[in-house]
Amino acid sequence: MTTSALAVPTPLLNISEVTKRYPGVLAVDNVSLSLEAGQIIGLVGKNGAGKSTLIKIIAGAEYADDGYLHLNGEPLELHRPHDATDAGLAFVHQDLQDVGDLSVAENVMLGLGYPRKLGLFVDWSELYRQAAETIARLEVDIDPRQPVGELSVAEQRLVMIARGLAQEAQLLVLDEPSASLTDEEIEHLFAVVRRLRDDGMAVVYVSHRLEEVFELTERVIVMRNGQLVADEATASLNRASLISHITGHEHAQTAAERRASRGVGGRPDSEVLLEVEGVSADTGVNDCSFDVRKGEILGLGGLVGSGRTELARAVFGADHRQEGSVRVHGQEIRDNHPAESMAAGLALLPEDRKTQGNIMDFSVRNNITLASLDRHRVRPRVPAPLPRSEKQAAERRIDRLSIATPHDRQLVRLLSGGNQQKVVIAKWLEQGADVLIFDEPTIGVDVDGKEEIYDIMEELAAEGKAVVFISSEFSELVGVCHRVLVLHEGRIVGELEGDAVTEPAIVEICYSQH
Amino acid sequence: MTDTTTPSESLKSRPAFSVLSFISQYGVILTLLASVVTFAILNDRYIDPGIRNTLNIASPLLLLALGLTAVLAMGDFDLSVTGIQSAAGAIVVLLIVNHDWYWIWAILIGLAFCLVAGVVNGTLVSYIGMPSFITTLATGLILFGTRYESADGRNITGSEDLPDIYRDFGVGQPDPWLSLHTPVWISIGMAILLWLLMSKTEVGRYMYAIGGNPEAARLSGINVKLLRASGFVIVGAMALVAAVTSTARTASAVADSGFSTLLGAYAAAFLGAAASRRALFNVPGTVLGVIFLQAVDRGLILEGYSTGVRDIAKGCILLLAMAFTRIGASRR
Repeated sequence: MTTSALAVPTPLLNISEVTKRYPGVLAVDNVSLSLEAGQIIGLVGKNGAGKSTLIKIIAGAEYADDGYLHLNGEPLELHRPHDATDAGLAFVHQDLQDVGDLSVAENVMLGLGYPRKLGLFVDWSELYRQAAETIARLEVDIDPRQPVGELSVAEQRLVMIARGLAQEAQLLVLDEPSASLTDEEIEHLFAVVRRLRDDGMAVVYVSHRLEEVFELTERVIVMRNGQLVADEATASLNRASLISHITGHEHAQTAAERRASRGVGGRPDSEVLLEVEGVSADTGVNDCSFDVRKGEILGLGGLVGSGRTELARAVFGADHRQEGSVRVHGQEIRDNHPAESMAAGLALLPEDRKTQGNIMDFSVRNNITLASLDRHRVRPRVPAPLPRSEKQAAERRIDRLSIATPHDRQLVRLLSGGNQQKVVIAKWLEQGADVLIFDEPTIGVDVDGKEEIYDIMEELAAEGKAVVFISSEFSELVGVCHRVLVLHEGRIVGELEGDAVTEPAIVEICYSQH
Repeated sequence: MTDTTTPSESLKSRPAFSVLSFISQYGVILTLLASVVTFAILNDRYIDPGIRNTLNIASPLLLLALGLTAVLAMGDFDLSVTGIQSAAGAIVVLLIVNHDWYWIWAILIGLAFCLVAGVVNGTLVSYIGMPSFITTLATGLILFGTRYESADGRNITGSEDLPDIYRDFGVGQPDPWLSLHTPVWISIGMAILLWLLMSKTEVGRYMYAIGGNPEAARLSGINVKLLRASGFVIVGAMALVAAVTSTARTASAVADSGFSTLLGAYAAAFLGAAASRRALFNVPGTVLGVIFLQAVDRGLILEGYSTGVRDIAKGCILLLAMAFTRIGASRR
């Protein structure tokens, strides 16, 4: 399986027969591959396929149980993350790991030793000069004196890449670098990556967005169940064949096909469950009005920063509403009172499952029942939860949503991203809301997991609930939504329904606003 | 996601035995047993009456540590707890001794004072959003200062004027079964109440949810502000009980800074968290922590060691417990 389609003479990094076991799981199963300089290599696979573990092994953050690494033909021993950095391997993780209060320059040069004056004091002007030089190689305009926390997500990622450049890295690993970037920013990121490739760097690009893999990479490595199942030139693959490598079975459907095959049409003609009228908030939401009917899936589209999340939070009452009213089942709900919104039948499944959705150190069971604990009382009037009743409820949801967990007492922290997302969904299904707002439920979720989440939303709609679906991937909206509202700068600027819901139509509305 | 069924089944297999994780999980209990056995061999007065007196003296410390457990579980600190205790003790004793108040009314005024102090702390931290560490350090200082000025820095004594029934809260007749004194039974009662609240009720679940992730808790409909503020009120209530039992035992309101008690209470709560499997603050753990610290302290006193040596020993124990918890956590 390891026959590289592109034969380049000297491999930069050789990974041979690497195996990593976690208690009960073979996370990486005898993987061998070589990475050549001057190449952009895509690394794809479902959540839990072993990509992250493999990267952690290369980064020195995990030990391999078996196998060897060779860098430029020399054996590479990694005992701690620093060893990998010293060897010229740089990593940009999905969760930004820079120090927000420090300046750009301090972050770029972090861990490399700052230039000194008199052997003791930091030579600030020299530090800024060195950092500015490094940043200039990325052809971006970032002030080295600015605190990193004030930069956009895209700029922060570039700072992380600059750190790799400063340490003269030979290999750069980018883990989901395009998450929460706008299209323009992604284009710029691609340009930077290509330039690094032309300078002779090996770049490993990890992404769930297959379009990006096709656009950027020259070679694709696919992992499944800890094994390396494909290592091919990107040009020899198409979307369908890549998906079948990733999932292990033959199916690949475009969003439009999915829409057609599911018979997704216009909005149902039923009673209105959620009415939003003239809502504004100081988070940038500006006079938004819409309603959602029973059985409807309403999509909220728009570019990153268009105010979709902010609108959802203002509607739910997670943030303060300056103006406007929200009615669920015709009943007005006060702002900034999540508990009241929930009682009225409204639920918000927040964008970031780690910081807003789950209690990561709680068990799967305790997370699932957290919003509906009063239904598991020992006696109706005694506010003490009965573990047996909680267990039954949790196990039912684990089963229904096929959450992959060894048992209901597993800590949510130990689940994969897609399964953590399903735990959030399970919590709100258990709570029994009639109107559910899903904010980017498929971020970081693999192909099969996404499909399962679409199915769940469709089932909910079929059961007579109303669903609001926020996504940056317009194809997802096309695949499931009866109707799509497009936001721009906190305002609703377009509405598409039924057959008019197509990707080009959404893109057209987004970009005609400038 | 379909592929994950196979590994999830095999996940049930137990991980290999690891000495480090064993130590991190049972280290505190084992060390406690080891020290008790050692001291018992060294000195035959250690178990009886040593342990019994230890428990009696430890009960105010336990009460304070219990209150702290409630706020720590929600991610807050309360450094004003000994300040509240000290001021409340002075109020109660002054009212009875200098103003001839009936003891029940004096205690009720003390309770009201403690609850108000808790409400003030809770409002400042939870509703106004000030950082708990520095806020309660400030309110604690204010309370200590007021207490000091109110009696010119002197102890307020009143062995003649305190009624016997009040004195009984501090010593009392030992019960016929275990020969434990009243304050021990009071603290056991409070520990059971708080344990029920924190580990058996909805409120307790919400408290730990807030400690784990306040934003996720809020978006799940939990009244985060109210519960965090209530934690400080619980601390106030525990401080009152501690104030009554300690003033009753010594028949006086002692004017010391209370810092060693404060640090002891934190040490006990953190030892308790270190002893728990998931490193969470919890009532049985706190009780264990208090017993541990007192047992070591008592043993060293009987062996004739000075305060300095005892403090060094307790400091080392705390460091070791934290170290083992960290090592255990990184191995999980």
